[in-house]
Amino acid sequence: MQPLPPRWLDRLATRICAPHLREELLGDLHERYALRHNRTGARKANFFFLREVAALLRPSIMRRQPSPYGSPSAFSGDMLRNYFKIGSRVLLKNSSYSLIHLTGLSIGLWACMMVATVVIDSLSYDRQWSRKDDIYRIVTVNKMAKDLSQRNASSPSGLAPELQKNYAEVESWSSLSSGERYFKIRPEDNDGIQTNLLTADTSITKILNLKLLAGSLRHSEQKRWNLLVTRSYAARIFPGQNPIGRTIHDIPTLGSEPTAYEITGLIDDLPYNSHLRGDAIRIEAAKPEPLVNDGIMSFGRNYILLKRGTDIGEFTRKVNEWYVRFTKNKGREQFEFQPLKDIYLHSDFAEGQPVKASIRTIYIFAGVALLLLFIACVNFVNLSTAKAFARVKEAGVRKVLSGSRTQLVMQLLTETSLLFGVSVGIAVFAYFFTLRPVENFLGHRLILTFTSNILMAGGALLMFFLTALLTGLYPAWVISGFKPANTLRGIFTASLGQTGLRKTLVVAQFSISIIVLLATIVVWQQFDLMKNKKLGYDKNDLICIEQIFWHGKGEAFKNELQRIPGVVRSSLSMWMPTEGAGYMQREVDDPARAGRRLRVWYIAGDVDLPATLGLKLLKGRMFSERFADALNADSLQKQDFKKFESAQMNQNSLMTESAARMLGIKQLDVQTKNAHSVPIGIVGDFHNESLYEPMKPTFILAEKAPEYASMLIRIQPGTEMQVAAGVRKLWKQFFPEKLLNIHNIEERLEKQYEAESKLHELFLFFSGLTMFLSALGIFGLVVQAAEQRAKEVGIRKVLGASVAGIVGLISKDFVKLVVIAIVAASPLAWYALQKWLENYPYRTTIHWWVFVVTGVAALAVTIGTVSFQAIRAATADPVRSLRNE
Amino acid sequence: MRRSDLGEFEEIVLLAVAALTPGAYSVSIAEELEHETGQTVSTGAVHAALQRLEQKGYLSSHLGEATQERGGRRKRLFTVTAYGGKVLHEARTVRNSLWNRITPAELSKMGLDFSNS
Repeated sequence: MQPLPPRWLDRLATRICAPHLREELLGDLHERYALRHNRTGARKANFFFLREVAALLRPSIMRRQPSPYGSPSAFSGDMLRNYFKIGSRVLLKNSSYSLIHLTGLSIGLWACMMVATVVIDSLSYDRQWSRKDDIYRIVTVNKMAKDLSQRNASSPSGLAPELQKNYAEVESWSSLSSGERYFKIRPEDNDGIQTNLLTADTSITKILNLKLLAGSLRHSEQKRWNLLVTRSYAARIFPGQNPIGRTIHDIPTLGSEPTAYEITGLIDDLPYNSHLRGDAIRIEAAKPEPLVNDGIMSFGRNYILLKRGTDIGEFTRKVNEWYVRFTKNKGREQFEFQPLKDIYLHSDFAEGQPVKASIRTIYIFAGVALLLLFIACVNFVNLSTAKAFARVKEAGVRKVLSGSRTQLVMQLLTETSLLFGVSVGIAVFAYFFTLRPVENFLGHRLILTFTSNILMAGGALLMFFLTALLTGLYPAWVISGFKPANTLRGIFTASLGQTGLRKTLVVAQFSISIIVLLATIVVWQQFDLMKNKKLGYDKNDLICIEQIFWHGKGEAFKNELQRIPGVVRSSLSMWMPTEGAGYMQREVDDPARAGRRLRVWYIAGDVDLPATLGLKLLKGRMFSERFADALNADSLQKQDFKKFESAQMNQNSLMTESAARMLGIKQLDVQTKNAHSVPIGIVGDFHNESLYEPMKPTFILAEKAPEYASMLIRIQPGTEMQVAAGVRKLWKQFFPEKLLNIHNIEERLEKQYEAESKLHELFLFFSGLTMFLSALGIFGLVVQAAEQRAKEVGIRKVLGASVAGIVGLISKDFVKLVVIAIVAASPLAWYALQKWLENYPYRTTIHWWVFVVTGVAALAVTIGTVSFQAIRAATADPVRSLRNE
Repeated sequence: MRRSDLGEFEEIVLLAVAALTPGAYSVSIAEELEHETGQTVSTGAVHAALQRLEQKGYLSSHLGEATQERGGRRKRLFTVTAYGGKVLHEARTVRNSLWNRITPAELSKMGLDFSNS
């Protein structure tokens, strides 16, 4: 028997060797193998053969001989023109498929562009300052317990100057706060111009690179406030004039006299994509406060500038170690340094920071958009491969006529890029016209967009091209890979076995749609819960006047107010819903767990406050004029702070149910240490903060006509307009020069949950789109299946099959896939949503019916889409499909 | 004379073809070289050298008969062309003239002795 080398090596050698050399070379190899085998035995011969095969790896042996019947290069000008010609003809001929493709791709690309804009814009915040990497905001971290800490964007005013003194790394510091003001250009103007005002000390010019256009950045030693105005703001208030040296007045809220501001400098516009968004900067002289380790200190938002290349982790550690030694408080208060670039997206904790966004929302946003694009591309791949059978004959003929595979792939890729090109055109068009509505939805402008930034546009085009290539390559590969002999004979069922992949993709697609749909329902439920939860007080028919200084006229104003028809009750209050949790906070020892501290909130107002809010009395009594419940806090405080403190200890108070429970207060009308007062009654729990916060123990104190206070007004239902008009008239009599801000409490409460509301709208939109795209994809597949099985359906009908039976036959496969998707997606969605809900102290439960509703909805959409086409196929005249051959 | 386009291995292969004619093909050449030098010589290397020599015009080839151990494939037989013979001859002349200029007395002075080789 003739000895033979190992088969795999032989096959490898055949692969390596160019076809025209195979005869002689492989013959030589085999002959030598036989010689070796006889001489040294099989093992050595095999080893030698391996070396022989390796030695074949040289260009002269591997290089293939060009075919004598060459087809033109796949990239020649003629061929390229031909691809376009044939491609556009194919697309026009199958116009319904092209339409499905176009719709899906346009929507996917549009959504992707839109979201990419939002994401890129969000990430661009605060990146344009020249020292952006070295600026930090000081964040105070209060350790409440071992694993519980509260972060706060403000820090002791004395800290930053102290840091500069102690550490060489600190180059400069500045306090910086933002707020809204109304300015009158001329004193006699009626209305003010709304202005976003930043307040900073002079060292801000060392930290931020402000570009001075005219005037000076320095603080002049005058009584007046100094104001730096931006160019566009100056153009708005003094069009065409030099603003330097002018004086404008603000409309006071607390004081009675308008304050004069002198414009001392004109600067270039501050970047819009910065959390320090502003029209003007009020400059103050830096007044470093000494840092004390005991007693009262003022807090502010402080920024520091560190030397380039400072290790921030090391610096933070050093500062905190020093601070622990300085305060001797065992590190209950610690500091973090938040990089400037993180402030916009990572400031969930920062109350009162007007310009911020949540990184979580950005992630969700981006994720959903990517999924949408994925669905669109899946549609494309599925439909293209499903349609492959219509193209394989063409591919076969082309191959027989010496068309190369490269040419076929190029042809199909050209079709893909034509479709993508048109879709990109539509998407860009839609993008351009939907930018404005999206900006309205977001509530701020988008600075970096694809239509304004050439770099981004280039990047986007490159991404589109890559997506088109990736999406088009697989179908092109499949279609061009058939053997011409088989396709022309009509055998392609075996090689068309890629249905497995197609099914997987459909399942993935529907899973995504179902997850998004579930998320929509749950987000809506959560939003609904937060909007409609009983807060413990009556939030309807409650309006408020924002906090002002009353100049001793509060009591009189209140008396006049009571006469306005519609007003039921009113109260001067030092707290109102949505404005923090109270006016004062104390830390007391937790009686239940030693070593832990509890935070207790205090709310103060006049004696009518509990009744105006509509709190429910559970035990004891409410405040009343008949008792000496109210403390004359303002005058006492002015006289002697110590005396005021002791008076407060003896003051009567109301406490909430949870305060009584958590502090273990059983007895009323007795001075209690933990309460710092004498509780006289227990009221039902109420949410003094938003529902993002768990309920905390709260006390209510009464004060006589507090001077710094807002006014809560309980009105009769449906009299809001009437009362507001009355209040305005009254205001003109009492405080003609002051700004009046009236709000509806319910509206303000709802505004707190804007993030959830936005998220809900977003999900509603995206779930509609994903569902639509998935249905579109499945529709295309059904059309394809119906066409492919037209003969089968015809024969079945001739043999007496019913319409229902045929519809079932065609629909069955798809419904099965969607059922699998439901089963796969539900637990995934449940898990993800449960994780999301854990962020909320008050959360909705995910009911089983949510899954049922979603499943039924998905099935209904599928069956609706599928049966539309299936019924058409089933009712078609069988003669038509059977006649042509 | 252009010696530069005839490498050492090529020269040996060319010589082997001349020596083995009319039965000179890759296997016989590789086996012969292995036998002469005592080192393994791969068929691919020999084949590549033969291809180059044929391209340069030193060799001509034709397909021979098929045998069973070749799996029914034919072999390519090589013969030296007149031009190839001339090149070989020239190479030999150069070597001989150089060898002739070396006197045994000089060699032994330098401590070298090739007399036995």
